Amino acid sequence: MVESSLPVLSLLVLLPLIGAGIISCIPNRRAGAARWVALLFSFLPLLLSVYLYTLVWSAPPPEKAFGYLSADSLHFEERFDWVPSLGVSYSMGVDGISLPLVFLTALLSFLAIIFSWSETRRPKAYFGLMLVMEVGVVGVFMAIDFFLFYIFWEIVLIPMYFLIGIWGGPRKDYAAIKFFIYTHVASVVMLLGIMGLYFQCRDALGYSTFSMIEIAKVSPTLSSGFQYVAFAALFFGFAAKMPSVPFHTWLPDAHVEAPTAGSVLLAGLLLKMGGYGLIRVAIPLLPVGAQAAVPVMVVLGVVSIVYGALLCLAQNDLKKMVAYSSISHMGFVMLGVATLSPLGISAAVFQMFTHGLITAVLFMMCGVFHHSAGTREISRLGGLAQKIPMAAGVFLTGSLASLGLPGLCSFISEFLVFYSAFATFGAWMWIPVISIVLTAAYYLWAAQRVLFGKFRVNLPKKEKGHLDDLHLHEAVALGILIALIVFFGLFPSAVIALTNPVSSAIAGIFAGVG
Amino acid sequence: MAATLSELAQLLADNRHLAPEFLMVIFAFIVLGASFGTKNRRVLGYIAMAPVLVSLFLIAGMMGFLDLGLLGLSAFAGPVNVALAGGALSINMFSLIFKFVFLSVVLLVSLTSLSFLTEKDKHVGEYYALILIATVGMMTVASANNLVPLFVGIEIASISTYALAAFRKRDGKSAEAGMKYFIIGATSSAILLYGMSIIYGISGTLDIPLLSQRIGESAWEPATIVGLTMLIAGFGFKMAAAPFHMWAPDVYEGSPHPITVLLAAGSKKMAFAAAFKVFLVGLVAAKADFGFALSIVAVLTMTLGNVMALSQTSVKRMLAYSSIAQSGYILIALAVGTKTALAGGILHVVTHAFMKGGAFIAVAAIAHIISSEKLGDYRGLSRRSPFIALCMATFLLSLAGIPPLAGFWSKFVLFSGAVEAGGWWVWLAFAGVLNSALSLYYYARVIKVMYVEEPPKDAPKLGQVPGPYTAALLIAMAAVVLIGLYPQPFIDAAMSAAGTLFP
Repeated sequence: MVESSLPVLSLLVLLPLIGAGIISCIPNRRAGAARWVALLFSFLPLLLSVYLYTLVWSAPPPEKAFGYLSADSLHFEERFDWVPSLGVSYSMGVDGISLPLVFLTALLSFLAIIFSWSETRRPKAYFGLMLVMEVGVVGVFMAIDFFLFYIFWEIVLIPMYFLIGIWGGPRKDYAAIKFFIYTHVASVVMLLGIMGLYFQCRDALGYSTFSMIEIAKVSPTLSSGFQYVAFAALFFGFAAKMPSVPFHTWLPDAHVEAPTAGSVLLAGLLLKMGGYGLIRVAIPLLPVGAQAAVPVMVVLGVVSIVYGALLCLAQNDLKKMVAYSSISHMGFVMLGVATLSPLGISAAVFQMFTHGLITAVLFMMCGVFHHSAGTREISRLGGLAQKIPMAAGVFLTGSLASLGLPGLCSFISEFLVFYSAFATFGAWMWIPVISIVLTAAYYLWAAQRVLFGKFRVNLPKKEKGHLDDLHLHEAVALGILIALIVFFGLFPSAVIALTNPVSSAIAGIFAGVG
Repeated sequence: MAATLSELAQLLADNRHLAPEFLMVIFAFIVLGASFGTKNRRVLGYIAMAPVLVSLFLIAGMMGFLDLGLLGLSAFAGPVNVALAGGALSINMFSLIFKFVFLSVVLLVSLTSLSFLTEKDKHVGEYYALILIATVGMMTVASANNLVPLFVGIEIASISTYALAAFRKRDGKSAEAGMKYFIIGATSSAILLYGMSIIYGISGTLDIPLLSQRIGESAWEPATIVGLTMLIAGFGFKMAAAPFHMWAPDVYEGSPHPITVLLAAGSKKMAFAAAFKVFLVGLVAAKADFGFALSIVAVLTMTLGNVMALSQTSVKRMLAYSSIAQSGYILIALAVGTKTALAGGILHVVTHAFMKGGAFIAVAAIAHIISSEKLGDYRGLSRRSPFIALCMATFLLSLAGIPPLAGFWSKFVLFSGAVEAGGWWVWLAFAGVLNSALSLYYYARVIKVMYVEEPPKDAPKLGQVPGPYTAALLIAMAAVVLIGLYPQPFIDAAMSAAGTLFP
């Protein structure tokens, strides 16, 4: 357990919020200043999160294995009573599975702001909403009170709705409202599950509390009938967010219409909330329900992996292809979690982390192509590498990372998922391995058609872009991401060593249930 | 003479907890009298607001929220729990919290009326007097412990509001609203009264707590079911619950804006106060009979209200349908009938008064500056009038139950009450959350039109929003945000109010 005299986690939430507040006070004629404020107030949380990461990293390892959500595993814990009569508290804390995601959130928010540096349409609202989104997402990853968790969970929806609705593509209205309703339905069903858990644990504990720590103490012993129902409710909420087949249909619509930075945050962070919820809440708190749901999770995970990859092969819109590839890659998270083994859970967390980095690169590149060539349609493009070599190189690197080239980070995470799945479920796991071939196929095929061959941009004259290569701000954002993709590919233990003790603690819960 | 005077003084001292009601009645007549002396609409409005403010202050003291001892008013120090008029009225947390809601709503109503009424409006004195009288009727219902004052209170409030709905009688919509409201209201009062008389015939008492004892003792008979059905129908009309809701959209849309606020946020809540008492105290022995029926009514009401709201093009009418849906949520409390659910219902009455009242006031303010209630005309409002757009968006998000706003907490307590009760009731909570999600669609649509769409090209620059509208919006907004961020005292008050019904 690492502690700090300052409420550092609250600071992580407050800094972007203050930034958003300042932006809303900027007068309209100086709207351009908004991006500088956004840059500063997303950079400070990034620095802070890196600092916290190194603090925890350099702390002496615990002498013995600790329990899930125990005082040993949680760092920088904060707690204030908020609504005592309901047992609601403002509790924050991070452990090995949330800290990498907190870092990822701060990083991607910062880079998304840099990447959208040239946004001139209503910049105040744009950058303000980005910061509000950061508040919500980072809050979800740090809340250890169910109520707070739910509040942050819902806060995320509003800025995303506006980002798609205002800055989105031609069908933005439909996409924004579909995203809003779909994920809101999922979260209210999750809320019902939380309520059920709350009342059952109140009867078991003798007092009411929403604290995950307290609930985790008694919830594994609740009756199996209740655990099935509650797990189903929570699982629905998280699986729709991830999204897993068959709840995935909102994702392609939202992505295709969202502005580039919106897509980066959506795929890089919002999807992770689903996987994180599964690992943080559903699995360890309702082990009996989770164990019963293993077959469902395996099937959904495998289907998502393979079906998502097959869908990618059929896409003509580059961005839609990347969107579907997210479904495939989040299927790995589901499969890793389903093993209920320490390695599988660590692999799932690492997969979320790497997917966040890689998908950000790919979505940014879709934005660059769209901006530069005037279209993202694969069939209209060709030979871009001749005209914009730098962009082509980055896109190729991103594709190779996404298809799991050894030496880049997602190779490690996908390999670990497969390894743990083989160890747990046996030979049937050859089915998801097919996706490796499929993934390589759709990325390389797309890269071949778009980047190589004879140069052409098949568009009417007036719709053509100006074929600029990467702008400086785009290159900075992408460069940082590529560097991190390589770094975590070479040193995966920078994340995994942190998550391992916590995933062992989660898997330990199942040893008792067996 | 001296003896009678001191008796009178004693009488007043004993009934001091009814001071707000007395004050309102007295000022109703003062406003009437003053309207002969002055034609200044503002002055009349201020006269009408004075007793409301003082009463709010006293009520807050009686609830124990304010320490009145500092002002030498320790006689009102709370929390108060007394029975008056031989047990026919009881002043406790339950009645106080409802009175608090009614008075807050009336404060908002009178504030908006200050700029809503124009020189074309005649009978301004009567307008304010009727509002005050209607409030007294609602407050009587909140404290009634006996079917007679309960019914009399409902009638006082109803008859005053019939006239108010038709206040702009030269406006066809307002006249239609008044007429419709009057006919439906009178019919439903008759049904209600008939139901009460049957229940009286079975039990032989009008006293609500005693009623529960007698009904519990008496053998089950068909007449009980007939009486219950009549009561459900009667209250159903007053609460605008499906299938008795069809008058509400027309009346809410046609009435003058401030009166819509009074009807939706005030007098409808009176029906809930009455129904909570009659069903959950008086007829609690028959709960197995009406609980199921009411749960069907609840699901029907919220679904119908939300589905109808989806396709509206007038924002005011959409809010009217959403008001029906919100009644459906509160009906969950009545159907489930546990302490937590009831606390949730009461809390939702409080929050709904501010968020729905606020939303209607925002509609009024927007109608004032752009002369339209059509959704299409709200385009780009966030740039033309950022303050009102922000208020509207906050109220709508709160109505949809997005945390951390007031509506989220009340819905949360309400639905968790149903989950706590377990079994069949969980499905009621499920219907509630799905409906909440559905309602988000039309709330988000308004926000989208205001914030996402560009203002029309040739849009003229908008005039200033009058001060009273701004003040009313600020009050409602402050309440919605404050309850959202610091819900503890309100949840506690709702819990203890629910506790007075379930000892």
